[in-house]
Amino acid sequence: MGKSDGVSGSFWFLFCLFIIYESYRLGLGTMYQPGPGFLFFWTGIVVAIMALIVVLQSFRAQAAEEVQEAPTGKRTTTKVILVIVALFLYAVLMEWLGFFIVTFLLFMFLLAVIEKKKWWFAVLVSAAVTLFAYLVFETALQSQLPKGILEFLRF
Amino acid sequence: MVEILHNVGYGFQVACQPYNLMYCFFGVLIGTLVGVLPGLGPAAAIALLLPTTFHVAPVSATIMLAGIFYGAMYGGSTTSILVNIPGEAASVVTCIDGYQMARQGRAGAALGISAFGSFIAGTFSVIALTFVGPFLANIALAFGPPEYFSLMIVGITVLTYLSSGSMIKSLMMAGVGLMLSGVGMDTIAGKYRFTFDIPALLDGVGVVPVAMGLFGISEVLLNLETEIKRDLLTTKVKNLFPSLKDWGLSIWPIIRGSVLGFFLGIIPGGGAVIASFASYAIEKKIAKHPEEFGHGAIQGVAGPESANNAGAGGSFIPLLTLGIPANPVTAILLGALMIHGLTPGPLLIKDAPDLFWGTIVSMYIGNGMLLVLNLPLIPLWVKVLKVPYYLLYPLILLFCLIGAYSLDNSVADVIIMLVFGILGFLMKKYRYDGAPLILALVLGQKLETSLRRSLIMSHGDFSTFVTRPISLAFLITAVVLLIIPIITGRKKLSTLPDE
Repeated sequence: MGKSDGVSGSFWFLFCLFIIYESYRLGLGTMYQPGPGFLFFWTGIVVAIMALIVVLQSFRAQAAEEVQEAPTGKRTTTKVILVIVALFLYAVLMEWLGFFIVTFLLFMFLLAVIEKKKWWFAVLVSAAVTLFAYLVFETALQSQLPKGILEFLRF
Repeated sequence: MVEILHNVGYGFQVACQPYNLMYCFFGVLIGTLVGVLPGLGPAAAIALLLPTTFHVAPVSATIMLAGIFYGAMYGGSTTSILVNIPGEAASVVTCIDGYQMARQGRAGAALGISAFGSFIAGTFSVIALTFVGPFLANIALAFGPPEYFSLMIVGITVLTYLSSGSMIKSLMMAGVGLMLSGVGMDTIAGKYRFTFDIPALLDGVGVVPVAMGLFGISEVLLNLETEIKRDLLTTKVKNLFPSLKDWGLSIWPIIRGSVLGFFLGIIPGGGAVIASFASYAIEKKIAKHPEEFGHGAIQGVAGPESANNAGAGGSFIPLLTLGIPANPVTAILLGALMIHGLTPGPLLIKDAPDLFWGTIVSMYIGNGMLLVLNLPLIPLWVKVLKVPYYLLYPLILLFCLIGAYSLDNSVADVIIMLVFGILGFLMKKYRYDGAPLILALVLGQKLETSLRRSLIMSHGDFSTFVTRPISLAFLITAVVLLIIPIITGRKKLSTLPDE
C-alpha cells in the first residue's frame, strides 16, 4: 500500500457517494417491500467505508516508508494514451467510415506510428489483416460488420 | 445408476453429431492457442468468441466455449515450461519446476507429464461431474430465495478471499460489480435505474464487454508499458513420453491433484487457479525430497497441472446445477448461456438435457482430442510463441473491437469495453483485482432479486437468513472467511499473480 492508494481510494469513495445519492433518489422502500435503490444504497455505504479505510491505510504506509512506485517512462505513457485514443476513434468512426477503412487506419497507426515499422511493411500487414479479418468474421462467422461509406460497393 | 448411464448415452448421441464434434474441436484448439499466448486468458477469449456463436445452436455454442476453457488449461502449461511465462494464471506454478526441467533438457518429459496429467484429471473431473451434478441439482431444488442469497454471498466472499492482492480491495471490487449490475431495468419495480438517460445503458452493463475490457484490453495496455521480453528456449523438444520412473513419481501427485482440484473447483469462488497452488503446496509438503522442488521436480509439474484441469471441470458443477459461476470464466459462460436463452440452475438438467449431458460428454471427447492434439502440435505452439508482440497486440485489440461490436451490432458495447479497458488498466496498476467485479456483476441481479424476495416473504424480517439452516451454514462460512484475515492478520492463502 502506498501513496497511490490514497488516490484510488478517494476515487472509489467519491464514486460511492454518487451511488448512495442516486440510490436514495430511486427510493429505498421499506423492509417489507425493499425499493429499487435498497441494495445499492447499503452496498454504497459499505464500499465507501472500505474506501476510507484504504485511504487511511495509505497515510499510515506513507509515514512508515516511501513506497517505490514502478518506474514508467514518459514515452510508454504517451504510447498507452495514443493507443487508447486510437481505439476510441475506431469505435466512434466505425459506423461512418466502415470496417475496411477504420481497421486499415488502426493498423497503419499502430504499426507505423506506435511501433515505428517501415511504412511499406505497415501497409502490407494492415491490408492483409483487414482482408483476413473480413473473411473470417463476415464471410465465415456471419458477423455483420459496418460497411459505412463503402456501402455503395455492395460486396 | 442406470439412469445416469442412459443419460451419458444420450449425451454421446448429442456430442457425437458431426457439427458438435467440429465445435468441440475448434473450442479445444482455440483454447490451447489462447493458453499458449500470454496476455490473453480464457476469460477474455470466451468473451471475444461469444458473438461468433450467435448463429449456432446453444448446445454447440456451449460445447465450444467450454472447450476453450479446459483447452486453455492445457495450453498454458506449454509456455510455462518452455519460456517461463505462464500463458494464463492457472499455470503460474508450473513455471517453477517446469521451466527448470526444460533447462535441464527435460522439456519433453515435463510437457508430456502435464499433458497426460491434464488428461487423467480432466477425465476424472468429468466423470465425477456426471455423478455429482444431478445429485447437487436435486438438493438445489429445495433452495428458496434466502438460500440462494446466502450461497451467492459465500461465492463472492470465497473469491475475494482467494483472489490476488488486498482483501479489502477485492471486497470493494465485488461491491462495485454489484452496483454496476443495478444499471438498467429493475425487474421487480419495472423502473430504470442508473441510466442517466443514456440509451446505451438502458439494457444494463453487459458482462461480456466488461470482461473483454478488464481482461483483454487492459492486458494489452499494460504490456505496452512494460514491453515483454521473451527468451525462448531453443533446445529441441524430444521424448514426450515420460519414462516409467517419471510415471512412478507422478502418478500419486496426479491422483491427489485430480481429487483436490475437483473439490476446489466445486466451491463457488474456487477454481483452477487456486487448485494449482494448493496442489503444489501439498506435493512439496509430503515429498520425500522437498528440496528438489524449484529445481525441476516432476511432481511439481504433474500435481498442479492435474489440479488446474480438474478444477476447471469441477467449476462447471455450480454453474450448471446452481446457476452460480465459481470464477470469472464460468461467469462469462453463464452470461453466454443466458444470451442463448438458457437459465442455468437446478432445472437445467430437466429443461435442456441435451445441453447438460451433451456438454459434459463433449468434455470427455475434448479431453481425448487435447491429448492427441497437444503432443504432436507442441512444435507448432512453440512457433506461435515466436510471433512478435508488435503483431500480436494489434490483432488482440482488433478481435476485442470486432467481438464487442458483434455482440449487438452496437458501438455502445465497444465504448463500454474501452472504458472498462482503461479502468482495468488502472486497477491493475493500483492493484485491484478484476475477478470479484465480474462475478458480482453477473450475480448482481439474482442476488438483488433473492434478497428482495426473501424480505418480502419474511415480511421484512432479516432473521430469515439465519433461521433457515442451509442459509445459516452458508453465511457462517462467509463470515469466517471474512474474519480469518482480520484476526490472524496473516497473508492470504496464496499470493496469486494478476489474471
